[in-house]
Amino acid sequence: MTLQHYLVISAILFTLGIFAVLTRRNAISILMGIELILNSCNLNFAAFSRFMTPPEDISGQIIAIFGIVLAAAEAAVFLAIILAIYREFGSIRPDEVDTLKG
Amino acid sequence: MIVPLISLILLCPLAAFAIFGLLGLANRRFPRQDYLSTVAMLVALVCSFLLLREVVPTPEPHTVNWISLGGVTFSMGFYLDSVTVIMLIVVTLVSSLVHIFSMGYMHGDPRYPRFFAYLSLFSFSMLFLVVSDNLLGIYIGWELVGLCSYLLIGFWFEKDSAANACKKAFLTTRVGDVGMFIGMMMLFTKFDTLALYGEGGIFAQAAAQLSTADMVWLSIAGVLIFCGAIGKSAQMPLHTWLPDAMEGPTPVSALIHAATMVAAGVYLTARMFPILTETSSLVIAYVGGITALVAATIAIVRFDIKRVLAYSTISQLGYMMLAIGAGSYVAGLFHLTTHAFFKALLFLGSGSVIHAFHAMHAHGHDDEHAHAHSQDSHQPSAISSQQESGTSPDTSLLTTESRQPTAIPEIPPDQDMRNMGGLRHKMPITFVTMLIATLSISGVPFIFSGFWSKDAILGGVLGRAMEWNSVHHYILFIMALSAAGITAFYMFRLIFMTFFGEPRNQEMHDMAHESPKSMTVPLLILAALSLPVVNILWFNETYVKPPPQPHLHAPQHAYVSPDSNTGGKGYTVSLFGVSEAAAAEENGGHDTHGAHGDDGHHGHGPAHMIAMVLSICVAGLGIFFSWLFYHRRTLSAESVATTFRPVYNLFWHKYYFDEFYDGVLVALTVWKARLFAQFDGSVVDGIVNGVGVVTRDILAAFVGLFDNHVVDGLVNRVAQVTWAVGGRIRRIQTGAIQTYLFVVLAGIVLLILIFRAL
Repeated sequence: MTLQHYLVISAILFTLGIFAVLTRRNAISILMGIELILNSCNLNFAAFSRFMTPPEDISGQIIAIFGIVLAAAEAAVFLAIILAIYREFGSIRPDEVDTLKG
Repeated sequence: MIVPLISLILLCPLAAFAIFGLLGLANRRFPRQDYLSTVAMLVALVCSFLLLREVVPTPEPHTVNWISLGGVTFSMGFYLDSVTVIMLIVVTLVSSLVHIFSMGYMHGDPRYPRFFAYLSLFSFSMLFLVVSDNLLGIYIGWELVGLCSYLLIGFWFEKDSAANACKKAFLTTRVGDVGMFIGMMMLFTKFDTLALYGEGGIFAQAAAQLSTADMVWLSIAGVLIFCGAIGKSAQMPLHTWLPDAMEGPTPVSALIHAATMVAAGVYLTARMFPILTETSSLVIAYVGGITALVAATIAIVRFDIKRVLAYSTISQLGYMMLAIGAGSYVAGLFHLTTHAFFKALLFLGSGSVIHAFHAMHAHGHDDEHAHAHSQDSHQPSAISSQQESGTSPDTSLLTTESRQPTAIPEIPPDQDMRNMGGLRHKMPITFVTMLIATLSISGVPFIFSGFWSKDAILGGVLGRAMEWNSVHHYILFIMALSAAGITAFYMFRLIFMTFFGEPRNQEMHDMAHESPKSMTVPLLILAALSLPVVNILWFNETYVKPPPQPHLHAPQHAYVSPDSNTGGKGYTVSLFGVSEAAAAEENGGHDTHGAHGDDGHHGHGPAHMIAMVLSICVAGLGIFFSWLFYHRRTLSAESVATTFRPVYNLFWHKYYFDEFYDGVLVALTVWKARLFAQFDGSVVDGIVNGVGVVTRDILAAFVGLFDNHVVDGLVNRVAQVTWAVGGRIRRIQTGAIQTYLFVVLAGIVLLILIFRAL
């Protein structure tokens, strides 16, 4: 396994994530897309850390772990917002939340 | 010591006025302004006496630079010589006494504090004028005293006559002041400075630089500056304001219009002494001589006691001008000093009489009086009836006069000498002091100061006449001598009509009384000063030295040497006078410089002896005729008046000066004003209205079209374009977050592609 393999996987994940974020009409699906993007990033961190730095330097992998933690926190906040939106509007489609639109 | 003392002299009255002014701004009244002002004047008086010792033989001006404009610097400063000190003493002394007198005279006036504040302001201005070392400072003081004169003449401005008189005084003196200012500017353009003394002063420069070619120019400048003195000192033909100025309170008449302000013109002329030329000297002498004679003749027929004194003042001022014009510098200023004292005394004495009569008025007609203490106000109703039924022989004069259409203002009854008579027992102090002053002004020999000063003038003029063999100066001498005789006549007429004989108006006589102490004490002091005590200052030749007149004897083609042309006997009349001395000088050099200037009170023994004898004679004659007419009544003034009706009318109408001014100058001004009003109404208004019509009907239409179409069109077009563009662009803003994200992503991809391509 070389670095290229990891990067290709990561690119595929990133593209899928972007695609989901751009195309889904469901907030949950968008969240899932964002998670995919985050995870592709984490994979990049870990891969670069493994292949591009000396073995004793593991800071990239630690950042990947931070990213996972961040993603968890983000998901929690996101889901809380979605719950609140659902209670307010009875829908979780972002294009229907348009009260502020002029 | 000089600068601090002078500063103190100036600041004391100024501070007294400033305190009144500041309190006035705070809307408060300080009832004891009289003490404040009087004490300030007394301090100034003491300082003036202290300055007497500070005079040095060669005085230097003490100056500071005041204003710098471009290359020209105006300085301000003091110049202290013996004349300054004597003027300071005269002004502060008379002013102090008038302050004290006013405490009695003005007591109870509704504007009592203001009166004293004005007196303080006046004293400051006058002192400033006296000590200034440059023409600018003199001019400032000059205008300030004019202002104070205006304020004080119009002090009882409720009276129309007083309000008119103060305007007349202000405007008439302004006529002269214009000439003075032009004269100053002439000197300024020539010398680039207005300072008189010191190295770069006008006098030093004039003595050093001017040649004979400049004499015409210098004469014109001298005469123009003298115009200011004509106005201020009420000389012909600008004298008409001074008699009217008697509408002011009597202490003001004594201080301003007898002793100090009107003498400022004489003082100015004396200050200009070093740059006087033959021509300007002669003009000054003639103006003075004519004034002395004409005013004296007018005074003969006046019945208002203050008007008599006013014309007397004009006449005496003419005397001083005559003296200075004839080169008797010391004599002129000497007469100024003595005149200040005895004329102030005469005015204050007349004030005392008026006060006595007025008290009766106030008592008898309380209900008619809004201001019980406006002493000089007109109260026509009650007294005019008494005048008609009076027993006075002069009443017939009144009735004959009243038939003529005249512009003579009615005389306030308490100032009318036809209501007086026999007052000497009622008012002994006033009588005695006024008699002393009258003896002094009439030139009664030896124990009265007026004799010495008048004699010095007559002697000086005659001395010059004999020395120069000049017809002009002989004429001037005869004028002065006649004026002296007439002066004695009308002054004793005043005394006889007021204090001797039977009371002409019994009711007023019964109520008359001697004035309070605050009024009699100044009278006594001034009476003491009318004795020749001031002579010691003037007769001390080392103390008062006349300045040299370098331009008076500049070699002139006009002089004809008696040896060469007329065989030593004849003389040639020319505008520049005839002078053997000058002719001799033309031949023999300049060694006689200065000898001519100081012939004021000494030298020329024969001239002075002749003048003294003649002046005693004319004074005696004047007094004798006065006694015949008005006391013995051997001769009837009325019959003489009837016999010489045209002459009498001329005197009574004051030589028609007022009629001339009213009929010609005022009428001309009014006519001109009407003309300009018509011009204003038709041409100027026409142009303005035409412009208005054009603007409204034509220009406004064009501008309206432009506004509606071009300006509005532009604004609307901009709005439409903005609206249309906005309508297109707003489509981009969908509000769908994913669209935005897509655009962002597309942008990133685009950027990546671009950078890859690069």
